[in-house]
Amino acid sequence: MSIALPRIRFLTRPWLALLFACVLAGVVRAQEAPAPAAAPDAAEAPGETRALDTEVQDLKKEVVDLNKELFILEEELLFPANTQVAVFVSMDVGEFFALDSVQLKIDDKEVSNYLYTPREAEALLKGGVQRIYVGNLKTGPHELVAFFAGKGPSARDYRRGATLRFEKSVGAKYLELRISDRQRKAQPEFEIKDWE
Amino acid sequence: MIDRAVPALLSLCAAFAVWAADSPLIGREAPDFALRAMAGDNMRLSEARGQVVLLSFFGSRCNTCRTQLAELDGVFRTYGPAGLVVYGVSIDDDATAVRSFATSVGVGFPLLADPGKVVGRDYSIDRLPTLVIVDRAGKVRYVHRDPKSRSEPVYVRELRRLLDE
Repeated sequence: MSIALPRIRFLTRPWLALLFACVLAGVVRAQEAPAPAAAPDAAEAPGETRALDTEVQDLKKEVVDLNKELFILEEELLFPANTQVAVFVSMDVGEFFALDSVQLKIDDKEVSNYLYTPREAEALLKGGVQRIYVGNLKTGPHELVAFFAGKGPSARDYRRGATLRFEKSVGAKYLELRISDRQRKAQPEFEIKDWE
Repeated sequence: MIDRAVPALLSLCAAFAVWAADSPLIGREAPDFALRAMAGDNMRLSEARGQVVLLSFFGSRCNTCRTQLAELDGVFRTYGPAGLVVYGVSIDDDATAVRSFATSVGVGFPLLADPGKVVGRDYSIDRLPTLVIVDRAGKVRYVHRDPKSRSEPVYVRELRRLLDE
């Protein structure tokens, strides 16, 4: 502290402040001076920009690829193929049912409860398939129960369930919850398909 | 001198830590959610990406919330066409009370129900009303908990800044 104080006093002297300002102005001018000399290089600028742009694009692609690889590695680590169970949702036609939510239970334990927005329901109607759940299960018998809620025929509140008992063996298990229309009965149909 | 400066500096650091801990979400990606609206379709926050989102957490028994929702309605009408989305998120348990509250408030933006308080927990809501402002990239930029900071001129200035980005 005793060293800092004299310095402050030194800078507050007016003639020194003026000198400091002159030096600063000189430095600023010196930095501005090379600008006209840089003008002839302007012709090279578009080429350099293009090269830089290509480099940035390459870098972006590398980052995307790396991200993809990391995602796959993470999936393999968290859900190894021998214990993996994945559940998908698909929807066909949807004339008699407007999807609102799907609740999933595996062995009486809720594993997912998904609320759909109109955009998501529309994506399913356009042929999209959603992975609603991915997890791990040990080998042996298991039970999957899915509850579908939404608006049924005549825009009435509609809630239906579907159950599937399945055997989990070594290797990944893929199950599909399929919502379709049963034209003859004018009712929606819910089924669970086991992809062997 | 140093003996006095060190405790002062430490208390300043502690004060900063408390202030920083008050807004753990700022700068982070806004936790995504899907909730049922009191009237109309279900809403998902990530579907509003590209727009500035203002979340107002409220309770049906909170009078300040009622006043703020009415204020927000005016803000929504002004800045909605410029890309502002406003969601009121109720953290009440009683669905009937929320429904009658929603009807009496009569705002032009969606009021969403979070009866399980899942979203409330994700956003660390500990007082009502709380305002959370999310930018076009989906990051939480401002959280207003105290009455002074959640006054209309303050958040309108922030919203205008974010809408210009």
